[in-house]
Amino acid sequence: MKTLKSVGFLLGLPIILLLWWWLATSGAPNFFVPTPAKLLTTFVETWIGERLITDVLPSIMRLVVGVLAAIVLGIVLGLAVGLNRTMRAVTEPVFEFFRALPPPVLVPVLMLLVGINDGMKIAVIISGCIWPVLLNTIEGVRSIDPVQNETSRSYGISGFARIRYQILPSATPTIMAGVRQALSIGLILMVISEMFASSSGLGFTIVQFQRSFAVPEMWSGIVVLGLIGVALSFIFQAVERRVLRWYHGLKEVENAV
Amino acid sequence: MLSNNPTSHAGGRTLPEGEALLSVRNLKKVYHTDAGDIEAVRNLTFDLGRGELVCLVGPSGSGKTTLLKCIAGLLNSTSGEVRLDGQVITGPPKKMAVVFQEYGRSLFPWLRVAENVELPLKNAGVPKEERKRLVQEALEAVGLAHVPKSYPWQLSGGMQQRVAIARAVAYQPEVLLMDEPFAAVDAQTRADLEDLIRSVWKKLGVTVLFVTHDIDESIYLGERVIILSSSPTIVQEDILIDLPAERDQLETRSLPRFTELRHHVYAEIQKAKQGHRPEEAITMVAK
Repeated sequence: MKTLKSVGFLLGLPIILLLWWWLATSGAPNFFVPTPAKLLTTFVETWIGERLITDVLPSIMRLVVGVLAAIVLGIVLGLAVGLNRTMRAVTEPVFEFFRALPPPVLVPVLMLLVGINDGMKIAVIISGCIWPVLLNTIEGVRSIDPVQNETSRSYGISGFARIRYQILPSATPTIMAGVRQALSIGLILMVISEMFASSSGLGFTIVQFQRSFAVPEMWSGIVVLGLIGVALSFIFQAVERRVLRWYHGLKEVENAV
Repeated sequence: MLSNNPTSHAGGRTLPEGEALLSVRNLKKVYHTDAGDIEAVRNLTFDLGRGELVCLVGPSGSGKTTLLKCIAGLLNSTSGEVRLDGQVITGPPKKMAVVFQEYGRSLFPWLRVAENVELPLKNAGVPKEERKRLVQEALEAVGLAHVPKSYPWQLSGGMQQRVAIARAVAYQPEVLLMDEPFAAVDAQTRADLEDLIRSVWKKLGVTVLFVTHDIDESIYLGERVIILSSSPTIVQEDILIDLPAERDQLETRSLPRFTELRHHVYAEIQKAKQGHRPEEAITMVAK
């Protein structure tokens, strides 16, 4: 009964939206908006097959590599900066400047510097995704509890052991909030990086369809993007629930008091 | 004041060279702030012999925590020194464990109970088998062997402080420092924890320095009570607690001797609050 209810919550609104869309498009056909049935057949024809391998998977690979690299770099740099007061003071204004730059404007620059290849697209993704992770890591490390610090010190937990056993776990809730932002930025940049000077990938294909007035195909590409976004969000939630089980439990207890 | 004065000593008791496990000499701590210097601790001298259980009691704001952190190597003193086994303390020593007042913040919420107790041992490179044994023994000693897999925040305040005590005990310190560990737990839990400390102390033969602002607690727990003056702190008096070794919450607390000691310490603390300072103590430690 309980699972039935949660499935209902999960699928209820999508079904209503689909019905609405079906009703709205079934009467008078509109060239720019396909019917659900048309979109479904186009989706299968367009994406299940060769394109999955030539366009979708490479895009997803670049996205995964870019986001993971941004997370690792962001955490490592964030630890280095967050643990050092002087470093924080020196770097923070610079970080704010770079963070304020919209990553799409970096695409032409990176095209010149890195060249037109996978490396450029991954660099674009990293350049946008690193900021929320980096800044959140700095914040998480900075706001560490002084009593926890004294505990570590009095038990001789220092250096790398302290980072591993105290600082990283304690900063994880803040870092995860940054990772969540990085994921959605990553998806956007994956598409944008493929819209310029590219010959494959989801972003490239969608633009191609649009320019050749392959309207249902274009829509189906957007659906693919949506599905990737949903999948990312589910994966993130599963990881977060596991990594931050202690944190959610702690918050629940604190809120109950 | 009393017909039967306790064996008291103005200023802190010191032991002959080489006999003290922990010795505090002319310890002074001045905090430098933007608003000017604050002298928290003026001049403290006392010794702890091996296996003693000593309570430090003083009016609130008397620099008890400052003193404890200097002893623990968490704060640098302005002048004077603390020695553990003859070695001057410059940072947190290996043979010392601290139990903090804020148990909720001192335990790591991302680690389970047994993992919290195990962490300092793991960090010190104790082999796995021995770690397991030490953790198990420590949890049994504090009566928490049944919840090793719980998270600290799933337990009551008193149980959390037991975990912190288990962590300290498992670390096998020579000196156990406790900074008002029971100030944040309710009265009944507090009584249980006091008895726990006495039993752990007896069983393990560890040297305990217990800081509290609670006069009754200091007398009930201690074999010796050091009374601190108000800030800037010096030792007001150092008295031996000549109560029977077997302490019992009801029996001991209703002994006439307990009441006498309580009166005495209370009066000293009142004097301290009014700014009375034993000149003798100052000259003695200054020599």
